[in-house]
Amino acid sequence: MSSSALLSALALLPALSWAGEYRLTVDEVTIDTGDFRKQGIGYNGASPGPVLRFREGEDVTIHVTNNLDEPTSVHWHGLILPYQMDGVPGLSYPGIAPGETFTYRFPITQSGTYWFHSHSGFQEPDGAYGAIIIEPNGREPFRYDREYVVQLTDKHPHSGDRIMRNLKTSADYYNRQQQTVGDFWRDTREQGLAATLKDRLMWGDMRMMSSDIEDVQGFTGLINGKGPEQNWTGLFKPGERVRLRLINSSAMTYFDVRLPGLKMTVVQADGNNVQPVTVDELRIGVAETYDVIVQPKEDRAYTVFAESMGRSGFARGTLAPREGMLGEIPELRPAPLLTMADMGMAHAGMDHGSMSHGDMADMDDSGINHDDMAGMDHGSMSQGRAAELPADPFYAEGSGLVPQAYNDGRFLSYADLRAQKPLYEERKPTREIELRLTGNMERYTWSINGIKESDAEPIRLQYGERVRFKFVNETMMTHPMHLHGMWSILDVGAGQWNPVKHVISVAPGTTVYMETEVDAPGKWAFHCHLSYHAAAGMFRTVIVEGGPEGGDS
Amino acid sequence: MKRLMTALLLSASASAGAEEMRHSMHHGFFYGLQADALEYRYGDSGEELGYWSTEAWWGTDELKALWLSEAEYDFDHDSWETLDNRLALQTPVSDFLDLRGGLRFDTPDGENRHYVFVGLSGLLPYWLEMDSNLYLSEHGDLSLDLALEYELLLTNRLHLTPELEFDAALSDDEAVGVGRGLRGMEAGLRLSYDLLDRAVVPYLGVHYERAFGRSADFAVQDGEDRDGWFAIAGVRLMF
Amino acid sequence: MNRILNGLAAALLLSATTAAGAASGAGGQPGDPQQVTRTIEVVMHDNYFEPEQLSFAAGETVRLKVRNEGALVHEFNIGTAAMHEAHQGQMQMMVDHGVIRGDHLNRELMKMDMGGGHSMAHDHANSLLLEPGQEAELVWKFDHADQLEFACNVPGHYQAGMMGGIDVE
Repeated sequence: MSSSALLSALALLPALSWAGEYRLTVDEVTIDTGDFRKQGIGYNGASPGPVLRFREGEDVTIHVTNNLDEPTSVHWHGLILPYQMDGVPGLSYPGIAPGETFTYRFPITQSGTYWFHSHSGFQEPDGAYGAIIIEPNGREPFRYDREYVVQLTDKHPHSGDRIMRNLKTSADYYNRQQQTVGDFWRDTREQGLAATLKDRLMWGDMRMMSSDIEDVQGFTGLINGKGPEQNWTGLFKPGERVRLRLINSSAMTYFDVRLPGLKMTVVQADGNNVQPVTVDELRIGVAETYDVIVQPKEDRAYTVFAESMGRSGFARGTLAPREGMLGEIPELRPAPLLTMADMGMAHAGMDHGSMSHGDMADMDDSGINHDDMAGMDHGSMSQGRAAELPADPFYAEGSGLVPQAYNDGRFLSYADLRAQKPLYEERKPTREIELRLTGNMERYTWSINGIKESDAEPIRLQYGERVRFKFVNETMMTHPMHLHGMWSILDVGAGQWNPVKHVISVAPGTTVYMETEVDAPGKWAFHCHLSYHAAAGMFRTVIVEGGPEGGDS
Repeated sequence: MKRLMTALLLSASASAGAEEMRHSMHHGFFYGLQADALEYRYGDSGEELGYWSTEAWWGTDELKALWLSEAEYDFDHDSWETLDNRLALQTPVSDFLDLRGGLRFDTPDGENRHYVFVGLSGLLPYWLEMDSNLYLSEHGDLSLDLALEYELLLTNRLHLTPELEFDAALSDDEAVGVGRGLRGMEAGLRLSYDLLDRAVVPYLGVHYERAFGRSADFAVQDGEDRDGWFAIAGVRLMF
Repeated sequence: MNRILNGLAAALLLSATTAAGAASGAGGQPGDPQQVTRTIEVVMHDNYFEPEQLSFAAGETVRLKVRNEGALVHEFNIGTAAMHEAHQGQMQMMVDHGVIRGDHLNRELMKMDMGGGHSMAHDHANSLLLEPGQEAELVWKFDHADQLEFACNVPGHYQAGMMGGIDVE
């Protein structure tokens, strides 16, 4: 056989049907974070579970055996598949009873970085999660010499059930960043007594806390299951391009990720390629993934540092030329405080997010070239980036949460994301559905349009339509909204180049739009991915009616 | 009361039907066990008392069943000065306030009383915790109380908590020492430290009680003091 | 407007090759078309080149035929790693000012005088800036043995790996 014949035979291989068989057991495991040990739940005897590596075009068969004494489930987060394989008990299937094995079978139609986790109770915060890597059929639109999964989580010493109960008993149970008498005196010195009093009275009048950014503090940040002291380490040779597959598998925690001394080039968001954008730091919402390429050139250790958005904890790992090398661990930056803008009060009904996006949508409709809009975004936003940080349109104007890079450099914004290749042809949405994100901090109740899932009617969509979802965040928390089964096309005003995601983070006091091509019949979950918000009721069932397999109604 | 009962039954039956809707992540029912105070009191005239105030609850966001218990035990006389148990249902009436209603069983050593009560509790602006109730005794006597509490954060773990409580009656009930009008007040100041999360919180403090008007006269007749200061040491528990 | 400008594109970019000067550090200089010994085809994809490695003999003059088969704007630029890094700042400015807009260029802005004798014209002898579907040529003489890179310095592209090596022996 000539070498060219061999090559062409090899080239044919991906086109042939490719089938892999995988096994997962769901087990009780011991989790050791370095700070504490606890009983938890894992896969194949460990938490996090194994990295599942699939290939685009492959037909996978996954046998999941439940070794727990309670029901379980596995949801393949971000994967496009038949709804019966989506792993949400009560929607996709009844779940997996103790001692039973459920066999998932579905085709892999995409590539990128994803993850899997239990969709039962609080098994995911208790440890039931793992990573998924899907190799593309063709070559990637970028190059790297080696790759690492960097899977973040916020491991808490309490069980998920206990956390939920504590929050229901006392919503500020875990908040150890509340304003104290000491803060009052400090603010009085810095801002004067009148201003400080006014501030405290304003928050007191609302019975809300400016420090309410992270509901659940007291966790240890983990990278690939390792605490800061255990120091997960990835090796490199100086000059190599290293691809980091960042996955935030936290129950509740957003992380601000950086590698001091290195720039990160973001090439994927939520598994989909984006036009590369080079930043110094990025914020990864709960359940999001970002793939970044870094190129460490020096023969030294670089710290992977992930501070929680509320600065109550961090995860830390290291990229190093050799095992055992340590990079410097930065100090945690001061905790931010929410402002009246985050309460939606600074410019009532005029928040930047809804304004700009709404306007763009209108212009789209009237046929004005939206590429120019995108261009204007860039043009007006980024002149002299370091000196004058542009307001991030995905935060309320004047928000206390607007991120700033550690070195005053560039911090990734949703507004920077552009699809590398449009996934769908652009078209006008058939209708708009408004979803107000609502809740009561003090009672720890969370809902959509003021109604908890248990009292709500499902959202019914018609197969073949393109729906525009309007998220209006009326709470003071940031909500990572996750729609199962179909892509969430985030409106950044870039028309066909809008990035395609599976989690859309909605900051307090903002309005954010996404569009969805309704191309998957069946019953799907649509929820805030903060575990305790979803459990409290910030959740909707979506039923897609019609379609090739006859939608289930 | 009857309405609350009906609501509880309805919600229980709804939960059965909701089983299929209860996909995976949704949790409806919760419970809590708390001891707001579990303390030792040493009085200004040398008396020693044990005191507790506890709460157990179970239910949903919309409706909770509660068991509230408050007791004062006099070690010198081996007697229950106060033994007050309440069974109640509670439902939210606004973002920050709950309506409560139920039965109160007053069974100290001596004369017992049963009441029905209805009350409002929750968070007032500026972080004032409020609990106020109206009681109707088996003899038709009406009384009411109002308690306010504020938690001052010296640090995120060290708290100073002043409390103030007023009791009033609309008629005399001499058998249990209740005189018409404002009959008493209690004030407390506790310095607490969150030792283990918020689950185990030891504290030190002072407590002051004073009887007014005819209630004070009844107390004096019984050989008790009109008022008293106590040094207190105790622990707050939450499970 | 796009369509009209598209027509101008190739001409503009070709004219860029005649403007020498700044390119002296790029391991060579614009070459004489008469001296060309061979023609090399380079294809731009999103976001990588094909091929990703080129080799020349010192003193060789070649014609580099570059075609953008991607859906985004790309650059083909010959230089050292340090030159590319320096150039990336200018390219970022072109994005910030709306000259490079993902899948097309704003030619009007490119012609604008930015003051101080600067413009956004991207007139560099050692480089081509191509919109999707465009093709252009660059004749280059590699003076001496060197380790060079050809690269796309559209922000993020080089970092993502849109570059290749040039061995001059």
